[in-house]
Amino acid sequence: MLITEKPHSLVSNFEAVRELLGLTGPESLRAVREAALAKFAEAGIPTTRDEEFKYLPLNRFRETEYVPAYGATLSEDDLKALPLSVLDGPCLTIVNGEFAPELSNVSGLPNGVRVMALSEALEQHEGLVMRHLGKIATHEGKLGTTNDERFTHLNTAYMAEGVYVFVAKGVMVEPTIHLRFITQADHGAIAVHPRVVIELEEGAAAKIVESYHGLGGESFTNVVHEIALGANANLEYVKSQTEGGSTIHIANQYVDQKSGSVFTSNQVAFGAAISRTDLNVFVDGEHTETSLNGAYLGQGEQIIDNHTRIDHAKPNCHSFEVYKGILDDRSVGVFNGKIFVYEDAQKTDAKQTNQALLLSANATINTKPQLEIFADDVKCTHGATVGQIREDALFYLRSRGIPEMDARGLLVYAFAAEVLEKISIDVVREALEAELYRRLNRD
Amino acid sequence: MLQIQNLHASVEDKTILNGVNLTINPGEVHAIMGPNGSGKSTLASILAGRDGYDITEGSATYLGEDLLEMDPEVRAAKGLFLAFQYPVEIPGVSNTYFLRAAVNAVRKQRGESDMDAMEFMKFIREKIKILDLDPSLLNRSVNEGFSGGEKKRNEIFQMAALEPKMCILDETDSGLDIDALKVVSDGVNALRSPERGFLVITHYQRLLNYIVPDFVHVLVDGRIVRSGDKTLAYELEEKGYGWIEESLAGAK
Repeated sequence: MLITEKPHSLVSNFEAVRELLGLTGPESLRAVREAALAKFAEAGIPTTRDEEFKYLPLNRFRETEYVPAYGATLSEDDLKALPLSVLDGPCLTIVNGEFAPELSNVSGLPNGVRVMALSEALEQHEGLVMRHLGKIATHEGKLGTTNDERFTHLNTAYMAEGVYVFVAKGVMVEPTIHLRFITQADHGAIAVHPRVVIELEEGAAAKIVESYHGLGGESFTNVVHEIALGANANLEYVKSQTEGGSTIHIANQYVDQKSGSVFTSNQVAFGAAISRTDLNVFVDGEHTETSLNGAYLGQGEQIIDNHTRIDHAKPNCHSFEVYKGILDDRSVGVFNGKIFVYEDAQKTDAKQTNQALLLSANATINTKPQLEIFADDVKCTHGATVGQIREDALFYLRSRGIPEMDARGLLVYAFAAEVLEKISIDVVREALEAELYRRLNRD
Repeated sequence: MLQIQNLHASVEDKTILNGVNLTINPGEVHAIMGPNGSGKSTLASILAGRDGYDITEGSATYLGEDLLEMDPEVRAAKGLFLAFQYPVEIPGVSNTYFLRAAVNAVRKQRGESDMDAMEFMKFIREKIKILDLDPSLLNRSVNEGFSGGEKKRNEIFQMAALEPKMCILDETDSGLDIDALKVVSDGVNALRSPERGFLVITHYQRLLNYIVPDFVHVLVDGRIVRSGDKTLAYELEEKGYGWIEESLAGAK
């Protein structure tokens, strides 16, 4: 008996927007979108039998009928209470996948810096954008074939809007660039697929903070990043993920580092119903530095899944990675850290640490370091710990008069705050510390 | 202020303290000396309330109350302070935040109001001068990356900030060079007062040149086997712990 399954709404919705999408970007993108849609349709919604989604039950997808998203009308007042609203520099806002000019202000940036909606960038600087669009977000041709890129394909299929950031050669951007991604699903369950392209040319430096917020309803954010760092470029990147509620957040981030570049990623996740980030860094030059810092807090029944992958393809590079998670209630944490050291990448120095603190007997962490090393003169270490609060530290605090409950709270906070300390932008670090504290105290 | 009577304690069925008797009155400085493994640090830990010890016999009374029944934070709030032999590193908690939480917790117990941030910083800047500590340490995580000497000075700094009634110093001299030893001792001596009692635990007589005790006790095998004035410390330094152990064996 032949059973023909009805295609999932994430696939069938394409029909309704195909022509609209076709209006954005060069003609050649039409075929790219069609091909990507076909790849996603073939792969389908992953199940826990798919290795890369082993701990990520996506049943919620199967039960949800998504409709195409359109923007929502929001004012700054609606956003005042959001974490990171304290940032008052250049800011670009995407609401339900659409650019929201009334919530954006990118004036005052130095010459050589462009922060704009991706659709606009495709109109005005097609050549520049197309240097990287679709070129970085793939693992084809790289070592190993373990990445599952179906959600990247899904994003590519619907790719039209998002953010474009460009910093020209040698330009140091002083103000922190803030990119806001907001969903408000008030017309059914919506799926949005923003694409973010960031290029720092040779010797350029910038600090970019992204924040993801949910203002209610069932939304699915499926974002893809393509980040190109030229020689000696320096990017400090912060991602704050706080959609919460019954939202799903999936991010596939691809970074390409040329020689001498420095990439610092600080990923802070306070969760959605399901949140998953794949952060992939391809080191394509010597003497680079890569720091991947992650802090996350799972509460209720949240599932927070972080996959990282560093491809050390060239010699003499350093990578340093630390992810720390606090898991309470019935929450589930997943950490998968892949490090590939290619045959040529001698003198690679890679260190990976991931730690989880379980506050409840029903909380779970699944952790898997995965190192594949093909060079012989390298230093690679990894360590994973799962634990409860340190008794010696608890006694020390209590011996100074701090009541046991407060001391425990302080140590839980400190466990993740240690990672937040690595954020160099004071106002961002302080806001995220306050958010962590507030959530731990369930204010 | 502190009365310890016939205190017996064990860890996992191994007897560590074997009938300790000791009374400390306000204003007195007592030193406990003893060889390694004699139970010195165990005594300090039990007095501060660390878990993991079975009290099999005896009692400890502090300010007329049963000390051993109190939680560690209650002991601290009532003015008992232990300077740790191995101060604990707590990444992610700033020294200032920690100290303010501690000072305010102790003030609350005394029925005093919280210090606000401004008041507290003024208070703390005065205290930090006494210990010759770099003020930048206040912004760092508790003890994280501190040198051995900085950790010990930080202990005495906390002691100065919390203004306790009964101070217990557990081998505060270990790992200190002579300059650091002097700074730490000066910090302790500045806190000596007729209302405050001290119990100084050390392996070496050296510390007692700087913090001069009123009484010296020798702890061997979990018991105080000899007590005297500061001259007992000199005698020990000269003749070694073997002398006491031999004379004990002779007495049997």
